[in-house]
Amino acid sequence: MTADKAVLLVEDNELNRDMMVRRLNRAGLKVITAGNGQQALDIMHTAQPTIVLMDMNLPILDGWAASRRAKEDERIRHIPIIALTAHATEAYRQYALAAGCDDYATKPVDFPGLLIKIKKLTHT
Amino acid sequence: MSLRRQLTLSLVTILMLFAINVGTHFWGSYARNESMIAYRNSVTAAQLSTEVEQLLEDQRQQTLILATLRETTEDLLEDTELKQAEVAIATINDKIRKLGELSHGVTELNYELLWKSSSHLLKLWLNFYRNYNNPEFNMDINDSLPFLEASQRLKELEERQAFIADQRANIIDRTISLTDRITIIAFFASIFLTATLGYYLVSYTNKSLKRLKKGTERVGSGDLNYRIEDIDDTGELGDLADAFNDMSDKLRNAIYDVRKARDDADEANAAKSIFLANVSHELRTPLNAIIGYSEMLHDELGDKSELNRPQIQQDLDIITNSGRRLLTLIDDILDLSKIETGKMSLHQEKFNPTAIIKEACEVLAPLLRNNNNELQIDELRDLPPLYNDAAKFRQVITNLLSNANKFTKGGIIRVSARQVPERPGWLEFAVRDTGIGMTAEQLSRVFDAFVQADSSISANYGGTGLGLAICRDFCALMGGSISAESAVGAGSTFTVSLPSDPASAHAGA
Repeated sequence: MTADKAVLLVEDNELNRDMMVRRLNRAGLKVITAGNGQQALDIMHTAQPTIVLMDMNLPILDGWAASRRAKEDERIRHIPIIALTAHATEAYRQYALAAGCDDYATKPVDFPGLLIKIKKLTHT
Repeated sequence: MSLRRQLTLSLVTILMLFAINVGTHFWGSYARNESMIAYRNSVTAAQLSTEVEQLLEDQRQQTLILATLRETTEDLLEDTELKQAEVAIATINDKIRKLGELSHGVTELNYELLWKSSSHLLKLWLNFYRNYNNPEFNMDINDSLPFLEASQRLKELEERQAFIADQRANIIDRTISLTDRITIIAFFASIFLTATLGYYLVSYTNKSLKRLKKGTERVGSGDLNYRIEDIDDTGELGDLADAFNDMSDKLRNAIYDVRKARDDADEANAAKSIFLANVSHELRTPLNAIIGYSEMLHDELGDKSELNRPQIQQDLDIITNSGRRLLTLIDDILDLSKIETGKMSLHQEKFNPTAIIKEACEVLAPLLRNNNNELQIDELRDLPPLYNDAAKFRQVITNLLSNANKFTKGGIIRVSARQVPERPGWLEFAVRDTGIGMTAEQLSRVFDAFVQADSSISANYGGTGLGLAICRDFCALMGGSISAESAVGAGSTFTVSLPSDPASAHAGA
């Protein structure tokens, strides 16, 4: 992973966001954050992150809508998105995949598992 | 007319026609018999007449010969000859009497005349024979008038009898042809009636049965709204069609009820699934923090670098708070489940609402200070005591106050209470804030479980999304209600109406 490339973490809950940033940093990943779906789309355009970790229940523009729009936009559709949500049912996994997410992880997060998914999607 | 009556009537008609046939036959038989006897009598009488005519003629010849002999010879009439003549005359008399026996009604008059003239003639002859040997007896036997008269009368009777026989024969012919005609007419009428009845029955039952069959097929294939129309007969098949329509109505209603029950059950099931999914989601959110921070601390403690103690303490606080939140959530879920299964009971006691409100405000004072909110308490002095559930009342007030504080920063939270003038025995409590408020859409769902006005609210403002649902259920349990008013940016007002005694409220409702 190049130095200027980073993981975009989209999360509106402050505690969860801080925890995830610290853990991703410890794992050697550079992290930028967004608090809602719209902000996430803006940052995807400007910073071109290598991967997005997207919470689904977000204010302003939720994770499903943001993922759908990202996948409809040619400039950012190549960026892989992993859905992160406390909705653990199969139906929600399907919603996330239908919205264009490349993978799906439930909260509480299995962190080593999440790292494997990130590596797989970023080919690093 | 009912089918049974029609059938009975037709059967009676056919039987009557049959009876007419049999009656005609017997009557014809009797009439023929009567005429036959009369005919035979007439024929016998005719033969007898001819015989009598012959005898009269013979007797006349004999008297004429004897009269000639008496004048020309002196021979006397022997006794045996007299006897013979008397017997012959008596025979003629007998035969004429026999003719009288065969005469009746229409020939009676002719016979009377014959009898009179023949008696006269026979008397003359008898007189002639008896006085034959008397030389002084002088009688003109050659006078042909009495004989001609008697012959004439006999001829008349004969003609009359021939006429009667002819008439009788005619009557017999007529009777035979009449009975034949009646028999044939009745026979064809029976056949016609039976055929008509059969045709009518077949077409009538066929039409009605076709309608019934169509109805059965339609209803059988699921068209429960189909009804048999144009039932124009009032008989059994019409009744059957009515009964069929009734049955269809009942069937449709029963199926509607079953469908509704199934839909209700499905809805309840869906609601339960949604509730479970929500519970799972709400439990996972604090668990994410607990597990995430714990794993992170575990990793950090394994590092060789210097420990950042204040950071570790702060992280541990987050874990503890998340654990507490999880506990509150579990308690709330249990409360809600108890209410919904009807296991939440009401512990009625007499209490002072003012005291409980003040206690709740004191407990929440530190939280209010954290958000720089000012608490105002109004008009609490004159409140009467309530005979209701004090613990639930305390929880409702606490929930409303902490809710108001959660969505208000640097504002005013005002608690008020009053007696409702138009509803004696009822109290109204209001918690008003100057916080962020809600849209109409959010307001409409504010009392539903797990529905916080915005999905990000639980993250930013905390809370389980069950507090107001519990408030609503508790208020209902206490015999009262809760309502909310709000506008975005203009704060929210939650109003609780409670009866002093739930029993009186239910009775009054």
